[in-house]
Amino acid sequence: MISDRLKRTILSELDLDEFDIRDEMLAGEVPGWDSLSHARIISAVETEYGTRFKTLELLKLRNVGDLQALVDHRTTK
Amino acid sequence: MEDILWHRWMHNAEKFPERDAIVHWCADGPSKRWQWRALLEDAQRVGNYLRCQGVRPGEVCALIVRHNPNFYPLYMGVVAAGALPAVLAYPNARLHPDKFIEGLVGMSYRSGLDWILTEASLEPVVGRLTTGANSTVKGVLLPFQSDWGESNPILPIGLKSSDPCLLQHSSGTTGLQKAVVLSHEAVLGHVDAYAEALSLSPDERVVSWLPLYHDMGMIAAFQMPLALGVTLVQLDPFQWVTAPVLLLHAISEEEGTITWLPNFAFNLLADRVHEEELEGVRLDTMRLFVNCSEPVRSESHRRFLERFKHLGVRSKHLSASYAMAETTFAATQTTPGRAPLTVVVDRNSLLKGCVAPAVERPVRECVSSGKPIRGCELKVVDEVGVQLADGQVGQIVIRSQWMFTEYRNNEEDTKLALRQGWYFSGDYGFTLENEWFVVGRKKDIIVVAGKNLFPEDIEDAVNGVPGVLPGRVVAFGVDNDQVGTEEVCVAAETEVQGEMERKALQLAVQKAGMRIDITISHVYLVSPRWLIKSSAGKPSRRANRQRILAGESNKG
Repeated sequence: MISDRLKRTILSELDLDEFDIRDEMLAGEVPGWDSLSHARIISAVETEYGTRFKTLELLKLRNVGDLQALVDHRTTK
Repeated sequence: MEDILWHRWMHNAEKFPERDAIVHWCADGPSKRWQWRALLEDAQRVGNYLRCQGVRPGEVCALIVRHNPNFYPLYMGVVAAGALPAVLAYPNARLHPDKFIEGLVGMSYRSGLDWILTEASLEPVVGRLTTGANSTVKGVLLPFQSDWGESNPILPIGLKSSDPCLLQHSSGTTGLQKAVVLSHEAVLGHVDAYAEALSLSPDERVVSWLPLYHDMGMIAAFQMPLALGVTLVQLDPFQWVTAPVLLLHAISEEEGTITWLPNFAFNLLADRVHEEELEGVRLDTMRLFVNCSEPVRSESHRRFLERFKHLGVRSKHLSASYAMAETTFAATQTTPGRAPLTVVVDRNSLLKGCVAPAVERPVRECVSSGKPIRGCELKVVDEVGVQLADGQVGQIVIRSQWMFTEYRNNEEDTKLALRQGWYFSGDYGFTLENEWFVVGRKKDIIVVAGKNLFPEDIEDAVNGVPGVLPGRVVAFGVDNDQVGTEEVCVAAETEVQGEMERKALQLAVQKAGMRIDITISHVYLVSPRWLIKSSAGKPSRRANRQRILAGESNKG
């Protein structure tokens, strides 16, 4: 399940007040999340959680749920 | 012997059988290295397979596939069979399947697509095309799931250099795309001339993440290296947008010397690559980073240079070109080894159509796109087509030895664009001592990250949103200096009241854009009769853009 913290980080970067982000959702299904904004959103998530993702980790992400799992993995280390 | 693509490739295969023709670069595994002899052998197998499937010389084969190591023999096999390849964008996950099919039907009608060559996963969607009333499509083939058979010699028999060799779409998003058919002599003549302008030598290595449905990817970064026997290192465009640093890794590992980037990519690389991702990366093999397909911004060059100078990037490695599918590709190119000329001019004078030195603010920095390449002639003209002098702003028109002759099946747009042998680009610019500067557009086309979008497509999509007053919508582009490209804005009239309801409507407008794979960055909801009409009675994009940017509306 997408945490409120991750959801807020993404929505804030996209300048959206509210949008229901679910695990199985692809990035392109979230309004404004496209190839131009992707790097910006990842940077915002990295800043929010004080971490840095590896390139190969990012390439393996299939949906927002995978991003949540990656964040969880990093923050529970 | 006729100078056709296949003969050039065969020549390269005979001359450098073991040289890398194409390195299919992978971030998460070993790269596939296609040597010339093996590549051409497989291309011949594909050519035979296609002929057995019924593909005839002169027919158009649309290729809709993702980054795949077998794409290259497939593409070349289409050419071997004497057919015309047309690379189309693989549908993004957010593009609604109905919209994708709608676009393909429109494209098959306008461009005359005969065959679709695609992946099994897309077959259920594109299979519908063969039964559609307006479709020209004869069949859908799955070459990656098929046995190509033996590598028997195959020759594109009887082909002349003046015959068509490929079909390229110039701009647009859905059924409105304009198709340009290019001949062998146009492509080969152009890449020879462009290689001269770039001082390209045979031992260089092109590195590219560009999608091959785009003319910059197809002509500059694919046809040119293949024709000249220069190694191409091709990245996956989808992977690149996820991790832009991959381009720098590929350049470093493969000792790349030249790459083409739309302006936004300079910003993206400068702003979004972390230092720890650059461990061991060297960029000092690079000779040229060519900025093309979007207005060139000096700030983007400055940021890129500042960010990567410690890895060997110098100002002399920055370069710019002005190009379009209608002239095969490049019309101008800056001199290699010299930073593009930048002039600082008075912004208000520029808006009035003349270039004046900047003595006080506001100013605008204009970056040169270089000089015309061999075989290309350009001039700046006024509204009635009279040539303007140096320092005067007007429409850029181009005449080239490698010019398109028509938009396929589109007489109306051909007549508008092509007059007395000159292509009216719709771009505004000026010259200073034979340096060409592109500063704006006459046409309403929006350029986002190097991709041309028609506002009509966006307005059509938004018009169908419940709550938006039909026909009372305009779409336009606005510069975002931070990102280094334009963003799409929509202004729509509505009677919807209430904060919650209006927010829901804004979201619905954004989703309408997503269904045609366009990001609408800003939605302005305005009251009925707010939008200014043009003399034709339709809402004016230009006037409403100015009104909104002047702050006369509440941003959504």
